Amino acid sequence: MAAAGGVRSRLHNFLEGADIGGGRRLVITGCKTSLKKLVVENAVIVFGRRGCCMCHVVNRLLLGLGVNPAVCEVDEEKEEAVLNELSIVNGGGIQFPAVFVGGKLFGGLDRVMSTHITGELVPILKEAGALWL
Amino acid sequence: MDFPSTQFVSSQTMATYEPIHQIGMWGENFKSISNPNISASVIVDVVNKLENESETTSHEMLASSSKHDQEASKPFDKIQRRLAQNREAARKSRLRKKAYVQQLENSRLKLIQLEQELERSRQQGLYVGGGLDTGHLGISGAVNSGIAAFELGYERWMEERNKQICELRSALNAQISDIELRILVESGMSHYFELFRMKSSVAKADVFYVMSGKWKTSAERFFSWIGGFRPSELLKVLVPQIDPLTDQQILDVCNLKQSCQQAEDALSQGMEKLRETVSATLASDQMGQGIYVPQVAMAMEKLEALVRFVNQADHLRQQTLQQMSYILTTRQAARGLLALGEYIQRLQALSTLWANHPRKPA
Repeated sequence: MAAAGGVRSRLHNFLEGADIGGGRRLVITGCKTSLKKLVVENAVIVFGRRGCCMCHVVNRLLLGLGVNPAVCEVDEEKEEAVLNELSIVNGGGIQFPAVFVGGKLFGGLDRVMSTHITGELVPILKEAGALWL
Repeated sequence: MDFPSTQFVSSQTMATYEPIHQIGMWGENFKSISNPNISASVIVDVVNKLENESETTSHEMLASSSKHDQEASKPFDKIQRRLAQNREAARKSRLRKKAYVQQLENSRLKLIQLEQELERSRQQGLYVGGGLDTGHLGISGAVNSGIAAFELGYERWMEERNKQICELRSALNAQISDIELRILVESGMSHYFELFRMKSSVAKADVFYVMSGKWKTSAERFFSWIGGFRPSELLKVLVPQIDPLTDQQILDVCNLKQSCQQAEDALSQGMEKLRETVSATLASDQMGQGIYVPQVAMAMEKLEALVRFVNQADHLRQQTLQQMSYILTTRQAARGLLALGEYIQRLQALSTLWANHPRKPA
């Protein structure tokens, strides 16, 4: 089962999250981990390859906005399986890094950047409950 | 044993061919000689003597040969054959010499062209690339042609951009209608988008070329961030040129600047992470085993991400430009584009000035 951020102490969370660019790290352990459940339970969740620098960029950006995204680092072996499952959840193609907001696929780094520049991102995040104030 | 006197008759018909000593110069081996027991020097001796029409004594030739009896029985044929072979060898030698000289001429021409290009680049204040820079060494022809195509395209792009700046300048002074001005603004923006497309293309060929900013002047390179300008920096320079702005516009521009800065920070941190990753991968084993280890190939895989960074940075620049065009009126956008173009021209002028100003000797 995925370990939710609330179980750990805030400091531990912060330190652990540092090398993924921020956010709460979730770990997929079992093969029967319900990705759909993860997507639904978290206001913002980012799926990316382990050690991916683009994923790092997304997380830094979201963190800079005051969002504390859940981050799912996927190992290379599980990559295809995760992509497939996420595609089913989404009903379409998925690429890493994949950002889900409010239970739906938001997009990749491109979309995050574009909407950030146009100012659309923050209202969307607020609406999904990822941001307050 | 002497040669029959008929030998001298035949020697006169051979006066037209070139001296044998030339063959030695071009490294000819006497491969076609049928009798391996006769050394090259012996042949030279024989032919020279024939040429000089002097009496040929047999013992000079025959003394160094163990099969002189065999030769003596058909000396005429053998000598004929040898002479024919020498003619052939001389002909081949002449052809080779011609090809070699042609190759030399081509290389010389290329050298002159390269030197001219170098001189032109130096005059324009462009970075020429010292001996330490291995950017262009050992890369495939495809990459070279990708870069060459980009450089040519960029030169044309610059000419077009300078032309557009002049048009904008006169248009703003002439007070043309907003509709006409809109056309100029749109083409100006498209022109920048075209540059981003060109950069994306050459980044696939050689991302380090784009990152290095070799195609830009030195002052432009000074401000370089992931292969180009920092959008927030340009905003800081250009916004004061677009006065007056409405309160709403000021707010929007401030938000845009802040968003740019946040996006730039995120990308910069991603770059830092990439450096750490590449570095860690390179040294992930117990070092000391030399350089032909899988770590280098693994690090190269990680480095591929650099292309995505360049693309994301250009994507950010494009988005910022686009957003500004939404915030501003047509006239303000025109002034902004003019200021941007002129700013870059001034940077380029600064580079040239810097390259040419006298320095104190060391």
